[in-house]
Amino acid sequence: MLQRSEPGAEEVNMSEHTPRDPRTIERPDPVLMKYYLIGSLLTGPAFPFVIIPLYFRYKTLRYRFDDEGVWMAWGLIFRREINLSYRRIQDIHVTRGILQRWMGIATVSIQTAAGSATPEMSIEGILDPDTLRDFLYARMRGARLDDAPSAAPEGDTPSGDETLQLLEQIRDRVAGLADRVRALEEARR
Amino acid sequence: MTQGTQQATAWIYKGLWKILVDLFNVPREAPTAPPGAGQVHALKPDLAFLRYLKFKFWLALAVIDVLIIGLWLAVLIADPMIGLAIAPLAWGIAIIPDILAYVALHLRWDTTWYIITDRSVRIRRGVWLIRESTVTFENVQNVEVRQGPLQRHYGIANVHVQTAGGGSVGPQGTPTSGHHGLLEGVGNAQALRELVLARAQRSRSAGLGDERLHVAPPVGAAALGPAHLAVLRQIRDLL
Repeated sequence: MLQRSEPGAEEVNMSEHTPRDPRTIERPDPVLMKYYLIGSLLTGPAFPFVIIPLYFRYKTLRYRFDDEGVWMAWGLIFRREINLSYRRIQDIHVTRGILQRWMGIATVSIQTAAGSATPEMSIEGILDPDTLRDFLYARMRGARLDDAPSAAPEGDTPSGDETLQLLEQIRDRVAGLADRVRALEEARR
Repeated sequence: MTQGTQQATAWIYKGLWKILVDLFNVPREAPTAPPGAGQVHALKPDLAFLRYLKFKFWLALAVIDVLIIGLWLAVLIADPMIGLAIAPLAWGIAIIPDILAYVALHLRWDTTWYIITDRSVRIRRGVWLIRESTVTFENVQNVEVRQGPLQRHYGIANVHVQTAGGGSVGPQGTPTSGHHGLLEGVGNAQALRELVLARAQRSRSAGLGDERLHVAPPVGAAALGPAHLAVLRQIRDLL
């Protein structure tokens, strides 16, 4: 009985943690609001003052992971937008508190070489943060061309062929030019 | 007798870990290395680091507990009735935090991991708040080894890996920002420093923006193959 139920439970877990392509992420997961709510309840009497900004932060938080970098924006009255290119990332921090672990989320903080002591960008409320971390790791500073084999060879061969074609065209034109010069010289004699 | 108590504490510790893993999702195993990492070194602080922490623990315990018990004795002598009444409280305050701190030492040692791959170092520590940082060697500016007299006695040292970007500095001169990785209590600090420096120097950029340096050459070299050279020679001969 026990042995039979175990693989089933694992399958459920696996389906819950299907790796999600970070490029499809636009909004934080709704579980982030639950996390904010519990976190602000723990502050006791300060609850209303803590929850209101967090609620608007959750409501307005947007992410965009494109080919070059990350864009993040939030704020209702005071808006804030952060743009950051992957190639400038030097440290990635993943922080998980108990509540976050129970909810399956984490705070992924990204640091560049800018002078601020706090991370330049804190990505909150992403399910499956390990996938996001590996996604960023594959694109951050120090990622070499051989780490992304799909991009490099495809980029090389067409450009190489193009150069070859161009050279061949030049050769043919020069050959035609040489023939004409030769014909003109013979005609003059 | 001592073996029995040792076994009992080992059992209790195992049970504690089971609770932490099952209820609080504390990972017991080493953090995963990044994909395509190549050669991976998974390190933990040296065992001497645990002894070092325990020594500091006993030192602090002696000072604090002597103070608490001394106060309690003073009360007991002044007024035996009140002294007896607050006895459980005084002894509880003296002993319970000690047990918690002692367990916390072991947990701290058990949950600290340093994973060194060919392009980054990943550090994970913490039980309640688990912090995992991945620092790329590409931007490493300096590697610092710090060792106090007590640490020298135990043969351990702290290795600071500092990356570009500023940040505030803590009381003991340790940066508090995220621009550094701290490898605490390692036994082979010199070897580790050499390893990190070698990995950092493998990158040919100076540590800030000039990554194109090692992107451009392979593209240019691949673009001119023997076929191109043959065509270029034909053009030369035609002229």
